[in-house]
Amino acid sequence: MAIIEITALKKQYGGNYVLKGIDLHIEAGQIVGYIGPNGAGKSTTIKILTGIISDFEGDAIVLGMDVRNNPVEIKQQIGYIPEQAALYDVLTPIEYLRFVGKLYQLEDGMIEKKSQELLRLFDLSEKANTRMNGFSKGMKQKVLLISGLIHNPDIIFLDEPLSGLDANAVILVKEILAQLKHAGKTIFYSSHIMDVVEKISDRIIIIDKGQVIADGSFETLKNNAHQGSLENIFTSLTGSSELHQNTAEQFIDILKS
Amino acid sequence: MDKWILKFVLFLAKQLAGKGVDFERLRIITETKILMDRRRVYLNWRQKQQKENSNPLLITLLLYGLFGAFAAAIIMTMQSLMGGMIFIHSYLLFMMTMTMITDFSSVLLDTTDNQVILPRPVNSRTLFIARLVHILVYLLQFTIALALVPLIAIFFKYGSLTGMASIATMLLTVALAVFVTYLLYAFILRFSNEQKVKDIVGYFQVFMTVFFAVAFQVIPRLTDMNILSTEFHIHWYSYLLPPVWMAMLLESVHTHQLDLPHAVMSGMALSIPAITFWLMIRYLAPSFSRKLSALNNDSAGSKIAATALAQPKGLSEKLSAITCRSKTESAGFEMVWKITARDKGFKLQFYPSLAYLLVFIFVFVFKSGQDVQTLWQKLPGTKMFLFFVYLCILSIANSRIFVEFNENFLASWIYQSTPVLRPGEIISGGLKALLVKFYLPVYAILFSFGYYVWGNGIIDDFVLGFFNNILIFLVTASFTEHYLPFSRQTNTKQQSGRFAQVMLQMLIIAALVGLHYLVIQVDWLIYLLIPVSAAGCYFFLKRIQELPWIKISF
Repeated sequence: MAIIEITALKKQYGGNYVLKGIDLHIEAGQIVGYIGPNGAGKSTTIKILTGIISDFEGDAIVLGMDVRNNPVEIKQQIGYIPEQAALYDVLTPIEYLRFVGKLYQLEDGMIEKKSQELLRLFDLSEKANTRMNGFSKGMKQKVLLISGLIHNPDIIFLDEPLSGLDANAVILVKEILAQLKHAGKTIFYSSHIMDVVEKISDRIIIIDKGQVIADGSFETLKNNAHQGSLENIFTSLTGSSELHQNTAEQFIDILKS
Repeated sequence: MDKWILKFVLFLAKQLAGKGVDFERLRIITETKILMDRRRVYLNWRQKQQKENSNPLLITLLLYGLFGAFAAAIIMTMQSLMGGMIFIHSYLLFMMTMTMITDFSSVLLDTTDNQVILPRPVNSRTLFIARLVHILVYLLQFTIALALVPLIAIFFKYGSLTGMASIATMLLTVALAVFVTYLLYAFILRFSNEQKVKDIVGYFQVFMTVFFAVAFQVIPRLTDMNILSTEFHIHWYSYLLPPVWMAMLLESVHTHQLDLPHAVMSGMALSIPAITFWLMIRYLAPSFSRKLSALNNDSAGSKIAATALAQPKGLSEKLSAITCRSKTESAGFEMVWKITARDKGFKLQFYPSLAYLLVFIFVFVFKSGQDVQTLWQKLPGTKMFLFFVYLCILSIANSRIFVEFNENFLASWIYQSTPVLRPGEIISGGLKALLVKFYLPVYAILFSFGYYVWGNGIIDDFVLGFFNNILIFLVTASFTEHYLPFSRQTNTKQQSGRFAQVMLQMLIIAALVGLHYLVIQVDWLIYLLIPVSAAGCYFFLKRIQELPWIKISF
């Protein structure tokens, strides 16, 4: 049974459609990479599926519930980690996780225990009681990841989850995503890092200008596009690579002049 | 004004600095920095609504000029030269040190130079001179703003010779202020990390804002100034006070007399600022820059900080368990409790408004012109205690608006991504935190004072007032726009909404105070009104708790 079901999803801002009719059918237990150029509508789709945006056209069913009618029930069972997410950084990680955990209605003792242990796994034990305003982007990103997973959600939505993380943390997060999949979770994430998407996704969806332009496993996409890597597939679908080359040449010419 | 001063200082630098300095680059660096200075939001100006292209620096300078006018008035009325001169130099020393610490700290502690200028082809001597020129321009414009009117007063009252000499002593005082600031920063940097420095600067800023708020109200009202006529006597500790040296120097210039104390102090006045300035440029400034450039990439100090900060279950967790009925509400409670203690933006707005309490007491109860002694004796016979009952609610009600704002308002996405069924509970949790944290202690202090003056008779009034204040707080919260805590951008404050809100608040306060005043006449009525008021609090709290998402503004 589909865990996410989108039919004819449209979204407009002031008469301008950013999503022009999207149909998706996602099975439980998959890792879905959702990619597209800037402004393609990735974040909007994720915000609709997580119940944050409620005025849209079409239907969106998550975990068998309509996101328009049951946003709170859905939010309880999904995790969301937005792109370039801000957090209240005058709090310490422990305090912030306690705050978020309470919004998820978790027990105090459980929040405390889980936070300490998850922070330890991310090498943040020493910083657990330090205010986050001195933290690097990667450290904050780790806290955000924990805050989106602490209530053990069934579906996890991630917008650019790897940005700002160092190489070791990227490997760790990739491994965590793989383990979450093993545990039967569904992961829906967007990223610009093509080789990561290529390696970990069961299914890749490419959207451009509010429409799905490619959908399938990496193998399928490769066969259809006759290209070797996801990066090449992506540029061939969303813009011509000759155009990029041309722009780069002009850039050099201006520098020389 | 800054452009002219820059031209002047650049001209001086060209004459003095000599070889190794690239003047085109020096000019463009300092011009850019001064442009940025103008756009920086200044401390005294930050609460007010601000237009994009206004010049906050100019307004700050005008404000300082106004302070200077007060100082000039004091010089004119003061009989002794010594008293006036000690006053003006203390004032200058205090104001310049505070300005350096609160506003200029962002420039002194700025490490972006390391990334922006150091990678470019600019030699280190040029950069050093550029920093110096920048600091000089900044200091000169503040010095002029602060000292211009007092200087005119000195020229007018004591003649041009003393006037000229006082220009020199004022510049020496400014040099001392710079030294004191540098010494303070070097000291803090020596023992802690960048974050600590910023925290300490934050405390100074809160102190300064409170100081300005109170000084603006109180100083003009101090018509009875006994200090103005006191004679000055030299004590041993006078030798430790820089303003006394400067005043002594000016006195010998004015009277053409030079006994031993005058000679010693004049010598100190001239030599010590020079020595400290030299020490600063020679030793302090270079090590300061080194420390600063190390600030960016180090995290050495933070480990110690981590263990030091590790805390057991805090006060807010315990209190939220007592006062809140749901998890969502206690999340709001703890968050507001913690962030109000740490967010500089909140502290800078709230504490001055709390300081206004003192001003109100001063203005309403101890009106100037009346003898404090007789007022004090008459007090128990009056109904003045009503002031003490209802005084604090204005400040406390302000805190409710301040917690809606935060520099980091984008972080409020978290409210929407989590399964919050009743956002009103987050708001009510926050309101409870404000009441417990600020209202209870302030009211307790006011009650202690009232009890000390009026005795047992006013206990019931304070009980009724206790609930009435909470009622005012909750009613205004319930009838105005609802925002989740820390979810609004700091600069988009809408004045129109504010005004209506204040009017509504005043109306309710007036009604309740009036009612309370009537109740005083009839003994038993108050015991009837206490439960009514308490029930009203409960009703409005419920109303806020049950607010649905559609009633929340973003």
